[in-house]
Amino acid sequence: MHSSDAVREGLIALLPRLRRLARALAGQAADADDLVQVVLERALARSAQWRPDAALDKWVFAIARNAWRDELRARGRAQHLFAPEEAGEAVADGGAALPVQQLELAQAMAALPPDHREVVALVLVEGLSYDEAATVLDVPVGTVTSRLARARATLQAHLGNDA
Amino acid sequence: MNPIDDDTLQAYVDGELDPAEAARVDAALAQDEVLARRVRQLQALNTQLRAAFDPVLDEPVPARLTAMLQPRATPAVTLTVVQGGRDANAGRRRAPPRRRWLMPGAALAASVALLAVGLWWGRAGNELVRMRNGEPYAAGVLGRALDQALASEPDAHAPVAIGLSFRTADGQICRTFTVRTPPARAGLACHTVAGWELPVLSPSAPAETGELRQAASSLPPAVQAAVDARLRGNVFDAQQERAARAAGWR
Repeated sequence: MHSSDAVREGLIALLPRLRRLARALAGQAADADDLVQVVLERALARSAQWRPDAALDKWVFAIARNAWRDELRARGRAQHLFAPEEAGEAVADGGAALPVQQLELAQAMAALPPDHREVVALVLVEGLSYDEAATVLDVPVGTVTSRLARARATLQAHLGNDA
Repeated sequence: MNPIDDDTLQAYVDGELDPAEAARVDAALAQDEVLARRVRQLQALNTQLRAAFDPVLDEPVPARLTAMLQPRATPAVTLTVVQGGRDANAGRRRAPPRRRWLMPGAALAASVALLAVGLWWGRAGNELVRMRNGEPYAAGVLGRALDQALASEPDAHAPVAIGLSFRTADGQICRTFTVRTPPARAGLACHTVAGWELPVLSPSAPAETGELRQAASSLPPAVQAAVDARLRGNVFDAQQERAARAAGWR
C-alpha cells in the first residue's frame, strides 16, 4: 500500500480520538474541528514522512499539538484574552446543555497555560504514558510530570475540590 | 525507604509505577488517611476529565472532515449544468489547483473565513449564513435560492447560482451553489429538518462575466470532494429537480 493510503486509512480510524484531543486543547467544538481540519491537511501533505514502524497516533498528535501552538501564536495573546467565563459560555452555546461539572471543567481547562493544557490533554484525556507524551511534546519525561502536577493543582483549585 | 511524595502519588494514579512501587503505595494508603484522600482526589479529577471529553468519541464526525479522507478519485461529476451558447472549452475552465486548498495556511484562513462569513455578510444586512449549534446553515437569499431556484431555469442576475442537485446514500437532498456577489463562495448545502446545512463553504474565484454558468467540474476542490463523498447514483435532471422542489426537498 502506498504510504499516503496507509496514512489516510489510519486517520479515518483515528478521527474520533483526534477530535477528542482537539476538544481538550481548543475548548470549543467549532475551533476544535477547525484544528482537526488543519491537522488532517498537514498529515496528508506529509504522509511520506511517516514511517510505518512509528505509531500513527503519536505522529498525528504531535502534528495536532504543533498546529494548535501555531494557531495560538497566530491569535497572539488569545489564551490570555480568553476569559474562563467566555470559554464556559461558548461551550454552553456549542450544543446540548452540559452538566455543571463539565462546564466548570471546561472553564478550568481554558484557564490552563498551553504547556499545561497539552500535557493534561495527552496524558489524562488521551491516556498516553508519560514517555509517550514526552516524545510527542519533545521534552524530557521530568518536564511532563512536573507540568502535569502543576496543571492538576490549577484544575483542582478551579474546581474547588482542593482540600 | 523514601517517603511517598506527590510525584509518586501522581504516577500511582496514572498507572506509571512498577508493580513493586505500586504495592508500596497501596500499603501506605491503607494506613494513611491523608494520603488516601489525596489519591481519591487525583482519581476523581482523572474521572472527571474522561467524563468531560470521552463523549466526543461518540459524536458524529462532521462530513467536511471525513470528506478530506476520501480517496482522491477522479471527479465523478462532469455534467455541465447549463449549456451556454459559447464554445465548450469556455464553459469548462480548469478547476483551481487542488493543492492551494491543502496548504495549511490557506486552509486555516479558509476555516477562519467560514466562521467569519456569517458576521461579514450579516453586517451588510444581507445575511447568507447563520450559525446554529456551531454549524452553518443557509439564510437570506442563499436559503431562498436553495429552496426555490432551479438549475434548469438559470437567472444570470440572481445573486446565487445553483449547480447540481442530488440525493445522497442517506436519502438527503444536497445542492451545490455559487454565490456571485462578493465575498464569492461556493458550497454544498444539504437539506435537513432545520434548514439547509452547509457542510462545505469554500472561497471561489468570482465568476468572470460570461462565466456565470459554471460546469460542475469547475467547483472548488473542497466542494467537489464533498460532492464525491456523498453522491450515489446520478445527479437530478431538470424533471427530478422540479419534482424535488415540489416535495419540499425531502
